[in-house]
Order: sequence, then structure tokens, then C-alpha cells
Amino acid sequence: MSLAAEAFVSQIAAAEPWPENATLYQPLKEDQILLSDSASSLAVQTFLRMCGLPVLVSCRANAEYMSPSGKVPFIQVGNQVVSELGPIVQFTKAKGHSLSDGLDDVQRAEMKAYMELVNNMLLTAELYIQWCDDYTATEISRPRYSSPYSWPLNHILAYQKQWEVRRKMNVIGWSGKSLEQVYEDVSQCCQALSQRLGTQPYFFNKQPTELDALVFGHLFTILTTQLTNDELAEKVKSYTNLLSFCHRIEHTYFKDRGRINAA
Amino acid sequence: MNNADRILRAYAKFSGAKLAVKSIDWTWRTITASVPQLHYEGSTVTEPAQILNFLRKQRFNADYELTAKQGADTMAYIALLEEKLRPALLHTFWVDAENYVNLTRPWFTSHSPFPLNFFVPGRQASLALSRILLTKAESPLLNITEVEGKIYSEAKECLNLLSHRLGNFHFFFGDTPTSLDAFVFGHIAPLIKAPLPSGQLQKHLNQLDNLCQFCNTILKNYFTDASAEKRMDCSLTAPHDPVDANLQKLTQLVNKESNLIEKMDDNLRSSPQHRHETKPSARASERNSPLLSKH
Repeated sequence: MSLAAEAFVSQIAAAEPWPENATLYQPLKEDQILLSDSASSLAVQTFLRMCGLPVLVSCRANAEYMSPSGKVPFIQVGNQVVSELGPIVQFTKAKGHSLSDGLDDVQRAEMKAYMELVNNMLLTAELYIQWCDDYTATEISRPRYSSPYSWPLNHILAYQKQWEVRRKMNVIGWSGKSLEQVYEDVSQCCQALSQRLGTQPYFFNKQPTELDALVFGHLFTILTTQLTNDELAEKVKSYTNLLSFCHRIEHTYFKDRGRINAA
Repeated sequence: MNNADRILRAYAKFSGAKLAVKSIDWTWRTITASVPQLHYEGSTVTEPAQILNFLRKQRFNADYELTAKQGADTMAYIALLEEKLRPALLHTFWVDAENYVNLTRPWFTSHSPFPLNFFVPGRQASLALSRILLTKAESPLLNITEVEGKIYSEAKECLNLLSHRLGNFHFFFGDTPTSLDAFVFGHIAPLIKAPLPSGQLQKHLNQLDNLCQFCNTILKNYFTDASAEKRMDCSLTAPHDPVDANLQKLTQLVNKESNLIEKMDDNLRSSPQHRHETKPSARASERNSPLLSKH
């Protein structure tokens, strides 16, 4: 959105309270959704639960196309549609709900930096593993991504998505990396997160923030998703404080639904 | 000269590594290989992050005194820089028409050998544009002008965040520079020093006093010898347009090592036992001694 449109939307957003029927849209959970999308979706759900805002989760095959920015998940609140964690955080802030108000400027800078680290490393690594690793792409990503569609659309869409992701990897310089290097990067990222978390319950003070939601979304999904091999999950498991962090958030915010059923 | 060069040079200065930064005729290399490259006893390392790791393993470590948490913070802030500031920098220097035509392209063409000067700048520019579009322009922002607004506002926010983090300190982690300082310096130095015809980001940066101060401190403490030596070469380069003492200083930074290569090579190549030495060599006497006292 352009800046003027954003400001306009914020103003409209501030006018109404959060409705009961806010909905979050994501691809089909059982068959279609992939690791990276599932992680982003879980991050948004966690954030909204942390704010105490009710949201219904609705699975649609064409969620990606419905989204205003082409990325999932997106939420529909009243008659506005907002996608991706960053804009959603701003949107909820405009409505008066925020998790990071208690932070001072330096802490807010750190929080944003760590969120970028997660996006830069973890999300990119997930995309790489899904689409640039031939074995995973053939066995898992392409079949899943195109499962709701019939031939020949499924082939076309799957290859189009793969080509698009590979172009992006090329441009940011990840296409030259091997799978081991990507795992190594994930490990370093987890190490940084683990060191930052230390023995605290959450990343900042005793209150969760959007950073906690984002980290939880990605780590939990990595731990519970079945890929072609378990190396990614093993890398995360080697950091015990991150594991207990995930358990803690799961018990605190998701206990009413039992164990979250990640695809 | 690109960001990675500056970052590495700054880091090398901070950690006291005896780095023979060879200003090879690098424009030929950019077509086939990636720059910068570190050659050490036959092995080659590319990519700034890997070169930094390599230097650390060789015990030229400016991050030695950081705690684990500070190390983690370094990674996070570097990610922030790459994600938020880099696209805007690329845009300012390579995509913005006025800057590109008046500053970047002439600078590059004057430093590239024939016939590369015809197509290397153009290639860099299109690479920059595609990088910005692919990473930042999601639909409906398919137009570069709409993306511009977004990337500049993100970059300004990033600069504000850095300024908050730096506060009143000289460097990001206390009184000694670390790899994060090298990264930040590498990114903002051209923005402060280059005389851009249209530089909204530059104007924003100039309002952030502590970042300007930070940059000037590093330039003064770690790079002044370079400009002093290069004043001799000034007459050779002699640009026709008065684009500057500042741009010349940057030019000189690129060219300087080529004169020092012969002296430096011995240290790295001749004696293997020098490999693990961290005390300054005879070379140090030529530079300001405080520079190399940090190991």
C-alpha cells in the first residue's frame, strides 16, 4: 500500500473496535499449506491470541490469490483486509491493541532487528528448502502446492511458483548456497535467538511481544512438520531453551485447542 | 567500490589484520567471479560474512570482547541493515536516474578499463533494480515508483532505529569497534560522503547527528593515513568535474592498496609462521600505531 493509503486505513481502523467475526485465511491445512506459509500463519494466530483478540481460521485453496499482497496469511476485519505480520501488527495497534508499548526506543530497535533476522534467515531458509532443493520440491512442495487443482493447471502453477522463488533466491544471493550451508545458517540464527532469550520466559521482560509470536510460529512449525529429512528440526532441537520457549507458549495460548495440528 | 569492500576494509582496520586489499582490476572479475575476494595461501573466500568468519578464525577478531548476547544482537542488526537499508541504498546509487547519471556511472566508467566501462555499470544498475523489485515489490506495488516510497520510508526508519541504538556512545558496543560497526560504517559512509544530486535519504541521515559523528570518527581514526598518502596521487586522477574532494577520498581508498601490495605481500606469503602472529609487523610503523594495537 502506498503511504497515504496506509495512513487512511489506519484512521478507518481506529474508528471501530475489533469485531467478533474477524477471520484469518490460509491455504488448506491438510493438503496444501507449505512450511513457510504455515509458519507465518501460526505467527499471526499466536500474535492475535497474545493480544486477546478472537479470530476464526478459515482454510481456502485460493487464499494466496485473495490476499491483497499475494502473501498468506491475511485477516479480514470488518470490511478491511490486511496481510502479513508487519501490517497486521500496525493494524491492531491502530485499533488500540499493542504488545510492544512497554518497550523503550532501544528495545524496540532490537525487537525489529530480531524480527528481520528471523525473516531474513529462517523464512528464507524455509523457502529455500521447499523450493530450491530438488528432492523436497518434487516430493513435497509441488504436489502439495498444486493439490486443489487439476491437470494441467497444477503443473503450471507449481512450476511458476518454483521459478518465482528461485529467481528471488538468485537475486539475494542464496542460490549459490548448498543445503548444508542453509542448515548452518539456520543453526546460527537459532543460536542467536537462543543467546538473546537466555533464561527469560520471553524475549523482552516478562511480557510477550510480536517477536515472540514470530519466533514461536517458525520454530514450532519447523519442529512439527514432516519434511524429507529431520535435519532442520534437529538443528532447532539442539537449543533447549528454544524448545521450552515453544512448549511454554503452546501451553499458555493454545491449550484450549489441544495440540496445534500443523500440516 | 561497493558496500562489501568498505565493510571489510573497516573490519580489517578494527581488528588489525594485515590485509593486502588488492585493488585488482576488479571489474574484469565482477563478470565471472564475485568481489571482494580474500586470497590467503591459495584458498579463496568470498562474501563479506564468510570473509569475516575467516578472519575471526585466523584470530583477527574485533568481536572478541562481546558477550554472547551482543554477538546475537550483531547478527540481528546486520539482518536489519540488509533488509531495510540496503534496497534504499541500491536505489539511491543505481536506480535513481539523477544520481546514476551524474555520479555513479561516471565514477565507475572512469575506473573501469576499456571496454568494460560500457557495460559494467549498466549491469550493476539492472541487478540493483531487479533485486529491489523482486524482494520489495509485491503486488500491487509492481511499479518502481510506488516501491520507492516504501523502501525509503523503511530505510529512514532503519536509520532512526540505528540512531536510537547508538545513543551517545562512540561505537555500538562500548568504546571499541566491532563487526557491527564495520557493517554500519560500510553502509552509511557513502551516503554521508558522496555528493548526491538528489539524496532524500542523505538529508535524513544528516539530521541524525550521532550517526554522522560515528562515521566521521571512524574515518578520522582509521582511514586518515590513506587520504594523506593519496594526496600525492591526486594529481594523477585529476577529475575534470569538480565532483570533489569527498569523492576523491573514496576513489583513493579504492586505489590505495595497489601501491601497498608489494610491501604487504611478504607478510602473508613468505613466512608461514607469520600466520598466527598478531603483533604488528614493520608495516605498522607506516600507519598510526593505535590502529593496530587492538587484536
